[in-house]
Amino acid sequence: MSNFDIGLWSMPILIALIFLRMPIGLAMLVCGMGGTALILNDTVVLARLKTETYGTFSNYSLSIVPLFLLMGQFATLGGMSTALFKAAETWLGHRKGGVAMSAIGACAGFGAICGSSLATAATMGQAALPELRRYGYSGGFSSATLAAGGTLGILIPPSVVLVIYAILTEQNIAKLFLAAFIPGILAAIGYMIAISIYVRLNPDSAGLRERVPYAERFIALLSIWPVLLVFIAVVGGIYGGIFTPTEAAAIGAAGTGVIAWASGGLNWSSFSRAILDTARNTAMIFVIVLGAGFYNAFLALSQVPQELSTWVVSQGFSPWLVLAIILALYLLFGCVMDSLSMILLTVPIFFPIISGLDFGMTAEETAIWFGILVLIVVEVGLITPPVGMNLFVINAMAVETRMVDTYRAVLPFVTSDIVRTVILVMFPGITLFLVRALS
Amino acid sequence: MHKLIHMLARGLALIGGIVLVALIAITAISILGRAGATVAYNEFVESNLGFLAEALIASGIGPVNGDFELVEIGIAFAIFCFLPWCQLTGGHATVDLFTSALPARVNRFLIFFWEVVLSLAIILIAWRLGVGMSDKMRYGETTFLLQLPVWYGFAASFAASIAASLIAVYVAAMRGAEFWTGRDLLADSRGAGA
Repeated sequence: MSNFDIGLWSMPILIALIFLRMPIGLAMLVCGMGGTALILNDTVVLARLKTETYGTFSNYSLSIVPLFLLMGQFATLGGMSTALFKAAETWLGHRKGGVAMSAIGACAGFGAICGSSLATAATMGQAALPELRRYGYSGGFSSATLAAGGTLGILIPPSVVLVIYAILTEQNIAKLFLAAFIPGILAAIGYMIAISIYVRLNPDSAGLRERVPYAERFIALLSIWPVLLVFIAVVGGIYGGIFTPTEAAAIGAAGTGVIAWASGGLNWSSFSRAILDTARNTAMIFVIVLGAGFYNAFLALSQVPQELSTWVVSQGFSPWLVLAIILALYLLFGCVMDSLSMILLTVPIFFPIISGLDFGMTAEETAIWFGILVLIVVEVGLITPPVGMNLFVINAMAVETRMVDTYRAVLPFVTSDIVRTVILVMFPGITLFLVRALS
Repeated sequence: MHKLIHMLARGLALIGGIVLVALIAITAISILGRAGATVAYNEFVESNLGFLAEALIASGIGPVNGDFELVEIGIAFAIFCFLPWCQLTGGHATVDLFTSALPARVNRFLIFFWEVVLSLAIILIAWRLGVGMSDKMRYGETTFLLQLPVWYGFAASFAASIAASLIAVYVAAMRGAEFWTGRDLLADSRGAGA
């Protein structure tokens, strides 16, 4: 069997192992080590293991991940979710479907200080779910809104998934964050449009709320200044070149930690819960990153990604068709797998293909644009049945709502996601606007 | 026994978390120091507010030397400390959509089987980390700025990985017992996704 065959065969084996419930990081690690041992020998594998684990865990760029996770935990404890929701509600609450729109707006705001979708969905769920129910929003619709809103946590920078993509493809984190900004805002607007259409088609799924005087609106807006401050420090600091991304993440964690402490939300028991949650997610992510490191090194050794890329390019397929197929594959896989594993598993294979095709942009622009598109389609997976993680998180809070109702009500949001993806594919300039304007 | 292991895993995770917070503090101090130094050596400040510049310089203000080297050592240690808690609480990402159609007993067996493989992998990693550490000791490699022996970082992580190996063996054994008895003994193992 040639090296290329070994590489090719490893893929169905890896997928089969993952579908047999093997932890994803472990499956990649085992396949990567096994494949390398077949192509070279086991001494090489054992020698690499001496420094690889420590090297991955001590990677300065990757240290952003636990910092952003902790930042999200602190942001949750700081009660900013309630303040954001209240502020959004004074401005949008009186419209048709306004309380749901407010929840989306608040999710977008929370996404600006939190890099994780699940944390955003869970936190905003606690803040907004009771209010939605109080104003007569149906259970399924309320849950679907919050699950969709949660995906803004990762679309709007800072974003853990973008950090991983940046490291995998050796792109500039600051530029990727900048590029994610407009698509993130568009996502929020798209969800609000979806809400407005949904409540017009299903008038009894949402109640009305009285209008709030402007004075009160501005007071509510003032109360969210800590969120703005942290966001500007983190994203502005990275972009302005004042901080390295890791430093910015540390500042963000420190900032949200101070907010949580000042609001009285931080004591030993909530602190230890925040740490334990961060610990669990960090360990999970780093095991996947470690496994992916081994698996991708093995794939590179087998020449599969290079050969595949050369083959696709030589066939003369339309670049747009190839891109459409790749994005469709992500949508499909997103239905069963979490976004981070999916990115670590597929980007090393798909990225060389995309880089080899001509979309009429520079290599860097293509990489940034593709990264944002991938980020969006993997996030759709968080709200698509059957294994949309955000749906589960919210449904666990709203026990009286049937899962089927949530599945049904999430469709307008998925539609909005797909429409947005198509627009961003057709007009790369939207994603790249800020990157081009500010460099 | 279970209580002891649970406390150990929890305690390790908390130690890792406290190290993480300490690293945040070091980074924040370093940034403040760098900002202070920028002010002190600013031309305008030097010519118009000489006393401030002098005071700042006299205080030895500046970024923490080699702060990122400390971050690297600390973060690796913290992550090794986080591993057992993740494993004990079934936090590793899996895809259980397809196996959920199978009987509970089959699922318990799969969980047990993969837990054994995971534990073997953790032990393998700990062993190689130890060998890597002794290599670094032999070569006397040091970090660039702080001139710290590189094996210090390996040693900290190695210690945590030993604890992780012990807990891994325990978790695997418990998953075996769960398969055998058909009862839940550990926390839920359906953890998935980030």
